[in-house]
Amino acid sequence: MNVADPEFLLDDSPGRVMLLLGNEAIAKGAVEGGVSVVAAYPGTPSSEIADTLSLLASKGGFYMEYSTNEKVAMEVAASASFCGLRSLTCMKHVGLNVASDAFISLVHTGVRGGMVIITVDDPFCWSSQNEQDNRFFAQFSGAPMLEPSDPQEAKDITAYAFELSEELQEPVLVRTTTRVSHARGDVKLGSTKRKPSLKGTFERDPRFGLLPASARVRHKVVLKRIEEARQLSEKSRLNSVFGDGKTGIITSGVSHNYVMEAINALNLEASIFKLGFTHPLPEERLMSFMSSHDPIIIVEELEPYLENHVKALSNRLKKKVRIFGKQDGFFPRTGEFNTRIVIDGISKSLDMKHVTVSPEIEKAYAEVQPLLPPRPPTLCAGCSHRATYYAVKVAAKGLNPLYSNDIGCYSLGVAPPFQMYDTMLCMGSGTGIACGFSAAQDQPVIAFAGDSTFFHASIPALINAVYNRHSFLLVVMDNGATAMTGHQPHPGTGVSGMGKPAPKVKIEEIARGIGVKLVYVIDPFDVKKSIRVFRDTLKKVQERKEVAVVVSRRECALLTIRRKRKEKTPIMPWKVDPEKCTGCMICVEEFACPAIFVANEKVVIDPNICVDCGVCAEICPYGAIEREKDRHEVKTI
Amino acid sequence: MKSRQSKTYNIVLTGVGGTGVLTAARILGSAAVKQGFRVRVGEVHGIAQRGGMIDVQVRIGEDVFAPTFMEGQANLLIGFELAEALRHANKLSREGVAIINDYRITPTMVTLGHGSYPAREKVIAAIKRFTKNMMIINAVNLAKEAGSAVTVGSVLLGAAVSVNGFPLKMETLKKTVEDLLSKRLLRENLKALDLGYNFARS
Ligand code: SF4
Ligand code: SF4
Repeated sequence: MNVADPEFLLDDSPGRVMLLLGNEAIAKGAVEGGVSVVAAYPGTPSSEIADTLSLLASKGGFYMEYSTNEKVAMEVAASASFCGLRSLTCMKHVGLNVASDAFISLVHTGVRGGMVIITVDDPFCWSSQNEQDNRFFAQFSGAPMLEPSDPQEAKDITAYAFELSEELQEPVLVRTTTRVSHARGDVKLGSTKRKPSLKGTFERDPRFGLLPASARVRHKVVLKRIEEARQLSEKSRLNSVFGDGKTGIITSGVSHNYVMEAINALNLEASIFKLGFTHPLPEERLMSFMSSHDPIIIVEELEPYLENHVKALSNRLKKKVRIFGKQDGFFPRTGEFNTRIVIDGISKSLDMKHVTVSPEIEKAYAEVQPLLPPRPPTLCAGCSHRATYYAVKVAAKGLNPLYSNDIGCYSLGVAPPFQMYDTMLCMGSGTGIACGFSAAQDQPVIAFAGDSTFFHASIPALINAVYNRHSFLLVVMDNGATAMTGHQPHPGTGVSGMGKPAPKVKIEEIARGIGVKLVYVIDPFDVKKSIRVFRDTLKKVQERKEVAVVVSRRECALLTIRRKRKEKTPIMPWKVDPEKCTGCMICVEEFACPAIFVANEKVVIDPNICVDCGVCAEICPYGAIEREKDRHEVKTI
Repeated sequence: MKSRQSKTYNIVLTGVGGTGVLTAARILGSAAVKQGFRVRVGEVHGIAQRGGMIDVQVRIGEDVFAPTFMEGQANLLIGFELAEALRHANKLSREGVAIINDYRITPTMVTLGHGSYPAREKVIAAIKRFTKNMMIINAVNLAKEAGSAVTVGSVLLGAAVSVNGFPLKMETLKKTVEDLLSKRLLRENLKALDLGYNFARS
């Protein structure tokens, strides 16, 4: 797909209405807010914020970098703000865990230029390893927090967050969720008259050096700022009450939309308290809302953040109000909401009878379920990780190793036929976990990491392995991009966030520099050689009881397709010669490229899916797979 | 408060990640904005795009809030793949229309012997339990006729224009395709829209 050039986002065309992805809208809000420095590490569902800003940076006159990880990104954005510039960092929910060390203390130092931190939570773990609710980070750190409910608000709130940050001299957390960031909606654009600047100035101030003496002072300042922020929250337009009825519904973020759909469907008279400024909460207004409404229904995804606060506040009221939320089971605490869940929750709270979906549809759907084939995500056709996994698996036959896997496209190695994972925890954990396995037990250990993951968080663990004499094989699957999140550049790619050439940091040189003795680089498409290198290396690791690194380097298949199309290199599908095929099923059962399937007991290759990598032909012991003569347009984008 | 749900036109697009489902949804959304509608498109990115099942919901109307809608509320289902169309057939309303590409992608799991892919006729019969208004279309062939197999999405969108009550005009879709898609295959995509439309009308 050709992502339309987002350059129009720099235009000063207030009032124009465009369809924007929530994340693009956040990027637009940053431009309207005059952001000067952007630093980020990509992560679904936040990636398009940084990607859009990366495409706009040069023309827009601001600085953008993909930092090695979220903590570094947080620090880069922080120091830009210390210099008086407006800065932004964005990350997925677990990214804020990585950045939290910098973040929590940053609330202590406070900021100068407006600084906005976007965190995108992922209820239902669409593309994540956990389901945490980052609203607690606001409470934990003391930072003010804003929560948009749709793309329009995502833009407006981001632009406003810079002002709020400057007013309070604190970084502002903007928290969205998958269904805000990955929803598209009509967005009315604002003005881009405010221009960025890269002429910041830094003046020494004790608050920026958090020694114990200054930290003690700053903690008191943080508490004072929280109270100031609460006053602003009381007055904020982002916290609004509308509709009328005895029933009061308190909601925030994407849940607001489901509430609107629900009251329309239920024809319900209700007052809605929609919260967009959610830390600190407007306590006085919430109390007065509660004193004039009964019952109160709280609709929020994930943790009972609002519910806990509202219940605590209700204790200060003279009268007793009924409050329905998730603590009594009216709404779920896991997964994401939808209109159905919210209709069900509201009608249960109010003892209303309502049928959301017709029983005939439910019945028919239950009956057709057994027909549906399983279709979990897989490594793409032509993916270099498949070739690497294949070679490692063949080389490790009989060794029965433990596999500590990591976060990236290669996580899909969990699926059959490879199933090469025993652990997967967080970015970089493949290497750290391998250290502990090496100390704790005797089976051989194979760790995996992607190139971007290696730079992000594997390096300290690899140093640890050398220093503490841990013994395992680390396979770095280097496909030249942060592929899973959209092929962003990283320190090994030779391109910067500004789209300019950059120095290339080499994984094998880092490994050697750290003191790893056994370092090899292979091309996984050279299957035979790869198997040999893995076999030899595993043997050496066992004999010498030390760590080894094999960098398996081959461009991501999606990048190869893009490149070939640009170069006008033909992409020719491969095919199975039925005369030569013996039906051994090695290509199916041990390699399983999605282009290969079995029809009428014959192995065939779907020419619409095959991307011409040729690896299956190398694997076939009978030379039965060959290249087709005709050029073909591959459908995969 | 008056119920306004009836005024929203709900579309669900289903298929396999990486085959153009997201792009088609984006074209629908942008075209709707061009015609002055309020729009919500509910997408899923990331790991789901890697060959897994994917559904995108597009909501067009005057007062749209949620990015997704409930079962039984779709006016239109656009299926890029047979079994994936069935997986979301329960989203269709009784009067809803299904436009389905006559194309099967066997999941690797099935190739490896986990579960099975039902016969084409079985899938079609199962979808018929949710709607009587179904159009099966060989979009891959029409796309090839348009000049490239990658234009399957445009064929299906062209067919959608023929559906009674579909709120978007062919000329808006064409304009949007010109704005959003690569210039490299523009001619082919425009032709694919026409071929899809003509097929559906005949
Ligand atoms: S490995 Fe080769 S010979 Fe064996 S089934 Fe596959 S294509 Fe046929
Ligand atoms: S050449 Fe073989 S392994 Fe490569 S994409 Fe085509 S079918 Fe898959």
